Amino acid sequence: MQFIIKRLFYGLLVLFGVVTIIFILFNILPGDPARMMLGQRADIASVNAINKDLGRDKPMLTQYFNYLNDLSPLSIHNFKNANNYWFLNDDKYSPYFKLLKISKEKVIVLKYPYMRRSYQSKKKVSEIILEALPNTIILAVVSMTFALIVGLLIGIFCAIYKDTLWDKVSLFVAVFGMSLPSFFAAIIIAWLFAFVLAHYTGLNMFGSLYSIDDFGNGKYLDLKNIILPAFTLGIRPLAIIIELTRNSLLDVLSQDYIRTARAKGLSMFKVVKNHALRNALNPVVTAFSGWLASLMAGAVFIEYIFDWKGVGVVIVNSLEKYDFPVIMGAVLVVSIMLVFINIFVDIAYAIIDPRVKLS
Amino acid sequence: MPGLPILKIDNLSVEFSSDGEIIKAVDNISFELNKGEILGIVGESGSGKSVTALSVLRLISCSPGKISSGEIIFQKQNGEKTDLLKLPEKEMQKIRGNEISMIFQEPMTSLNPVKKCGKQVTEAILQHQKISKKEAKQKAISFFEQVLLPRPENIFNSYPFEISGGQKQRVMIAMALSCNPQILIADEPTTAIDVTVQKTILELLKNLQKDLNLSIIFITHDLAVVSEIAQKILVMFKGKIVEQGNTKEIFGSPEHPYTKSLLACRPPLNKPLSKLPVISDFLEINNNGEIKSKNSTIENILNEYSLNIEERKALQNKLYSKEPILQIKNLKTYFPVNEGIIFKSKNLIKAVDDISFDVYKGETLGLVGESGCGKTTLGRTILRLIESTSGQIIYKGKDLTMLSNKEMKALRKNIQIIFQDPYSSLNPRITIGSAIEEPMKVFGILNNFKERKNRTIEILEKVGLNESHFNRYPHEFSGGQRQRICIARALALNPEFLICDESVSALDVSVQAQVLNLFNDLKKDFGFTYIFISHDLSVVKFMSDRLIVMNNGKIEEINFAEEVYKNPKSDYTKKLINSIPKIEI
Repeated sequence: MQFIIKRLFYGLLVLFGVVTIIFILFNILPGDPARMMLGQRADIASVNAINKDLGRDKPMLTQYFNYLNDLSPLSIHNFKNANNYWFLNDDKYSPYFKLLKISKEKVIVLKYPYMRRSYQSKKKVSEIILEALPNTIILAVVSMTFALIVGLLIGIFCAIYKDTLWDKVSLFVAVFGMSLPSFFAAIIIAWLFAFVLAHYTGLNMFGSLYSIDDFGNGKYLDLKNIILPAFTLGIRPLAIIIELTRNSLLDVLSQDYIRTARAKGLSMFKVVKNHALRNALNPVVTAFSGWLASLMAGAVFIEYIFDWKGVGVVIVNSLEKYDFPVIMGAVLVVSIMLVFINIFVDIAYAIIDPRVKLS
Repeated sequence: MPGLPILKIDNLSVEFSSDGEIIKAVDNISFELNKGEILGIVGESGSGKSVTALSVLRLISCSPGKISSGEIIFQKQNGEKTDLLKLPEKEMQKIRGNEISMIFQEPMTSLNPVKKCGKQVTEAILQHQKISKKEAKQKAISFFEQVLLPRPENIFNSYPFEISGGQKQRVMIAMALSCNPQILIADEPTTAIDVTVQKTILELLKNLQKDLNLSIIFITHDLAVVSEIAQKILVMFKGKIVEQGNTKEIFGSPEHPYTKSLLACRPPLNKPLSKLPVISDFLEINNNGEIKSKNSTIENILNEYSLNIEERKALQNKLYSKEPILQIKNLKTYFPVNEGIIFKSKNLIKAVDDISFDVYKGETLGLVGESGCGKTTLGRTILRLIESTSGQIIYKGKDLTMLSNKEMKALRKNIQIIFQDPYSSLNPRITIGSAIEEPMKVFGILNNFKERKNRTIEILEKVGLNESHFNRYPHEFSGGQRQRICIARALALNPEFLICDESVSALDVSVQAQVLNLFNDLKKDFGFTYIFISHDLSVVKFMSDRLIVMNNGKIEEINFAEEVYKNPKSDYTKKLINSIPKIEI
């Protein structure tokens, strides 16, 4: 338990660092947001108004604290003076919940983190990201689960039947899968399964988690659309997991305690299941979490090719248009996910190997 | 009551193939094990003794070995006789752990690190007996009691890394006995643990054998160990049995020169020697691989190597009349037990606790104690590989604890350390030539690679290797050769002070004797000062002028080696002396 609290504490520190770095980065980047919102021919008055609204007329340090206060779920706000940047504006901060009044004007508020608004669409950044994030998470989780389960099974199989034909074929396929560029694989797979063989598979070449009904009955869940992108995305992690499982299992199988287990009279199946697998999992967990984390940032190529509305596409689109708040928000959300994945991985290590807790 | 043969091995041969070459690890051996008997198999590593044991359980498939011929006839509990080599794998699984069980050399690595000790034992019970998990747990705990584990309930729920080496070996024994086997094969069960613990494990095995009427095959490289426990002894050399007979005969009148050399090469406690007898004093192997005896007797050799005490006394008097080269004053090294995020924990492990002593130029100072007594930490603290908590380390008038890293680096050249495990202290991907040449390069000794290479070859020859070894990799060498390489690496910098941290503990007794002789020869040639750290009192006594006995981070006793042995002052020293296995010749 103490272990988990410690990790959470470190995670919070990391996030704080990330917020600071994001803030500094986007403030030294060239580009005036007011100009970007209003166009190059805007008059000075409007530009100033917008800058004031964004709090950009204040010194850098104040801006930084404003940014932190906007992001923090627990924040201090002014509920009387509408000119103050910290004014509890329904438009910005709702829904919120007033917790504690600390002075005549100020109140501590529990709220949803406010990540500013998109320069382009004027939508709240949190809304934009929330729309894309579930798609990305589902795609990442499905493809990694597929890679993990299939990869472990094939890897174990290869380790036990080392140097047989099956082992060699699997390894060859794994190397092939590892070296296949994902954008190329995506096009080939889409063409093959959703065009040439579409008649048999019934799959679409592209489409997101939800499809719009042709007859105007709104959105509906279209689960079969996930098959192709998830498979394509899973190929490379699958190949890596096969290799890692096989090699680390072979390593573990030559250990002394495996000999002990066999001297007890256990069958090979039990030896692998009870003794070898857990010890062999460490590198697999490391690879798995690394991949999962990077997929959380969106798999740009695959989202583009399959028209999957995920975070990757959002980030690329906003980069193109210098839509800073969206990029800042997306980077922040992705970092939060990474921190949490890392905490889970640390906990997973501790469960797999009790020695981790000590160090 | 030694009775009928329960295991009969007939013309067993085991082959290993490496790089297309076939090596006969076990060459046509035959022997019998009777019911209720302890049979000792003795030989150096590579003699085929472990391979023989693994073949009985048909476990050599783990390594690329193959049983090429022979029969292993085993009599089951129900009286039925079977050839184990012809059994299908399924039937064999019923024999393993159930009728014949085995314990291994390294208790550290032989238990699964991620499973609790209790679970590993109940697993064996549940595999062979149809009982509930609860009953299995009770059974396991009762076996833990039988092998005299303290707090059996706690150990049942501990992970292997939470208990000591001796306790792990006891868990292994409990696991092996848990299904009431008829035969227990113990493969070097005490080699990796302290002598004091070794003594208790040997006693335990002896008592269990009597209580359960077990048959035990006890494998070791150390004749002294089996002399205390076995009734019958087999001596193996290069895959063949060179001598077998009952223990008294073997120790009373050894026939084969190899047996003689094994008997002689352990440093004797009661007789000071100038040099240890080694195998080549007794036999020669000619180009055809045949063994030729030199017809020497143990007595002759021992007399030839006996030490002139007067001479040594005079030498020592000269040594100790000078100023000490190294002074340790109130040295303390503490480790925090558990570091919190913000608050430092107040619990400390006092690994080295207020130790003071002097080392004189040219002497060998022995440091002896059980594992965990702080002797290794002390050695490393002197070199500042571990930072001390307080105290002074004065080397030639300079306090090492005050030196900057840069000054310390220059001094490291003069003080070198040789580690315990020659297998893991050499980088497997660096040729031994570059491993020896590298430190010279770091310290800028000699100008170019060619000069350094010549110097390296010179050093290799000093430690008994030669030029052709320069471009080879560590895996091509045996344990003894690797330790010579480690010594050569330390010599490369022309040090004047060497710290040997358990440098011979991982080696067979016969190889140990060679390496110890090498240390002494080098001392004569270069005039080194040694701090010689070991858990084996007999080794330290042979090597040292003076001796420090350490326990729990403190010095128990410091005196001349002979004195410590003849008149031990502390109880702890007496305990150490008593636990050394002795051969009565």
